Amino acid sequence: MSPNFPNWTKLAGVGEQALDFALKNVGTLTDRVLEGHVRLGVTGLRRAGKTVFVTSLIDNLLRGGRLPFLDAVASNRFLAARLRSSPHREVPRFPYERYLAALTASPPHWPAATAGISQLRLAIRYIPNSSLRRSVQPMATLNVDVFDYPGEWLMDLPMLNQSYREWAAHTLELAERPPRRQLGARWLHWLESVGPNDRSDEAAAREGAALYTDYLHACRRSQANLSLVQPGRFIEPGDLAGTPLLTFCPLPSPAAEPGPNSLWGLMAERFEDYKNTVVRRFFVEHFARLDRQIVLVDVLGMLNAGPAALHDMRMALTACLEAFRHGRGGWLSRLTGGQIDRVLFAATKADHIAASQHANMRNLLDMLVSEARNAIRFEGATVDTLALAAVKCTETVMTEHQGRKLACVQGTPLGRQRPTVLFPGGIPDGPDLFPENVSQPYRFLDFEPPAAVGRDGRGLPNIRLDQALNFLLGDHLA
Amino acid sequence: MSNATHQAATWLPPVEIDPSRPAQGADETAFAAVTDSVAARVNRVVWPRSRWTLPAFLGGVAALVVVALAFDAANLMDRSFATSYALGLLVTVALAVTVGTALKLALDEAVSIRRLRRIDTLRADAEALVAAGGHGSAMAFADTLAGFYADRDDLASPLESLRLAVTDAHSDAEVIALIDRQVLTGIDQRAYARVLCASRDTALATALSPSAALDVAIVLWRNLKLVREVSTLYGARPGQFGSWRLMRRMLANLAVAGVAESASHAAVDALGGTLAAAVSTRLGQGMINGLLTARIGLAAMNLCRPVAFTAENKPTLRRIRAELLSVPKDVL
Repeated sequence: MSPNFPNWTKLAGVGEQALDFALKNVGTLTDRVLEGHVRLGVTGLRRAGKTVFVTSLIDNLLRGGRLPFLDAVASNRFLAARLRSSPHREVPRFPYERYLAALTASPPHWPAATAGISQLRLAIRYIPNSSLRRSVQPMATLNVDVFDYPGEWLMDLPMLNQSYREWAAHTLELAERPPRRQLGARWLHWLESVGPNDRSDEAAAREGAALYTDYLHACRRSQANLSLVQPGRFIEPGDLAGTPLLTFCPLPSPAAEPGPNSLWGLMAERFEDYKNTVVRRFFVEHFARLDRQIVLVDVLGMLNAGPAALHDMRMALTACLEAFRHGRGGWLSRLTGGQIDRVLFAATKADHIAASQHANMRNLLDMLVSEARNAIRFEGATVDTLALAAVKCTETVMTEHQGRKLACVQGTPLGRQRPTVLFPGGIPDGPDLFPENVSQPYRFLDFEPPAAVGRDGRGLPNIRLDQALNFLLGDHLA
Repeated sequence: MSNATHQAATWLPPVEIDPSRPAQGADETAFAAVTDSVAARVNRVVWPRSRWTLPAFLGGVAALVVVALAFDAANLMDRSFATSYALGLLVTVALAVTVGTALKLALDEAVSIRRLRRIDTLRADAEALVAAGGHGSAMAFADTLAGFYADRDDLASPLESLRLAVTDAHSDAEVIALIDRQVLTGIDQRAYARVLCASRDTALATALSPSAALDVAIVLWRNLKLVREVSTLYGARPGQFGSWRLMRRMLANLAVAGVAESASHAAVDALGGTLAAAVSTRLGQGMINGLLTARIGLAAMNLCRPVAFTAENKPTLRRIRAELLSVPKDVL
């Protein structure tokens, strides 16, 4: 054999390898195109139950034993779900196992408040419903991205559309009203000692920010349980604790625009920095490309806290939902993402009241979110409301009390060891929520997670989580 | 403010109730009230007429016939014993067998009619529960349904999954929906397959049969068989007369449905028929007979289901029509 003679067998081998490689890549590429992707936005103000909801959602999808209202499960097309690593490597993983361990420990306890953002991807394998699609694709995959974050950060979103002047005026006006006025007395007093035209002074900015942060903390801790607390990072700084980004506060608006070297100029600059580097990044990375959204509302907590809290929450919800892009997605927007076409408002902790009250709870939620719902409907997205509980902690029982039959709940109230039966009170079915002659009409108690929860391997017990999932993901699992 | 005072009167503060006291189950009086109201509605007289003349007349005739038959039988026994002891014995045995089987048949019919009535009550109860929109009463309904299907081995696992799926947090309408999804959907699919099969059978048989009389016989026999199959699947289990009764009710139902059903359905049916008829009259006739059988089968499904179909899961003729149109292709 001459040395110049090409080695055909080797070349053929190379060709084969290239073909093999190409086929394999085409395979993964088509997989990627054929696999469905849904970014599910779990939205909720502080203590609405986002973390527990995400944990229960993952657990129930992984085990699939308690989702009779999810169509794919009911028609036996749901095969299984698995956890996958999220494609966004820089975001911490949602510690599902840790939260589940907390809920199923003995004695069980609730996960601590969320301090940072975390994310997880869940792959659901199912059999397509249409026979045509089944012949091409005997089983399909849907990737669901969920993420968890402190609810305080959500309150930053309305700031995106505001200038410092607008924001300061709005916040100051709010702070002058009754429940907040006492809470922010020290900060308001400090405001009187400084003028917007004062020279730019780092120490003054620090002092103002510290006082303002105290005021925000007081708002949160107060009896009225106020929701409209901006900026969220002042409360839950995450990795920004102590940075100059968090040293500003609203100042009274001056008549003429002060120079850049004034205190006002300094604050306005920091506000813009905060908006651009913190809020906009948070929004773009996590909220801008959502496909589906669930808004969790702790209706019972708000009823406990009184009319001021209810009003505040209503304003906060309406304001932060305006930041999202809702609309009716065609196939193009399905490919590119970026429009939320289904929004579910859910009243959480429905297990704290007797099940016969759920209809009233849902009606109340309907009433509370009516403005936000109409705005979203106007954009073309589908909206529904629901009363749910991510982890069901109580049983509804009927008891006789002073000659009246009462629908009560049986469970272990928070901080106690033994289960008890109690009548939690009802939700009125009319708009007259707070009768004038009763000082504190609502005292809904929180409950401990039930003992031995989830031991049966069917997933965490829940109320209407399956209906929520069917509304949010059902059409993707068809 | 009358509203505020009213609320203050009924308002009860949140209270902890003695944990040592045992908890009771769901409220059952509400369920009894619901069923009573349903019964009252069902029993309402629609057409005022004398209700007892016709039954009294028929009863009298039947009594006369029975007495006459008894006399005849006694007479026959006397005469055969007079002829020979063996003949007398034979006649006695034949008589005993006849009377015994007649009783058995009557009993079976009574049982089957009772089961049909029970299905009617179940369906009315389910409708009333959904309409009332309450909570806690549907558990009793689920128990009744489970009892109704207790002897069915094939439904054991759906009933078990229903038991696991229903919790105390579900409202009545949700429990009914769960029954629909967990238990009845499986039966629906099997019944639908039977209907499909029967309508193909009649379509083929009428297309191939040489005479019109044979057509009629085949269609009648196959339809009766289909009705029995479908009603057995849903647990109605009709006897001979029971299926005739069912058939009669269904024909009435069909006559009404024919008027009420949307004009588009009728138009498409007719168009499908004429298209096929253009290819062959026989094939067209077969097609029409097949569609008729299918409609009778679907009506039977509607009548025998313990929970009425909802708008989403109502079986339609569309798929059967498509299947039927593919039959000539398969055969030729």
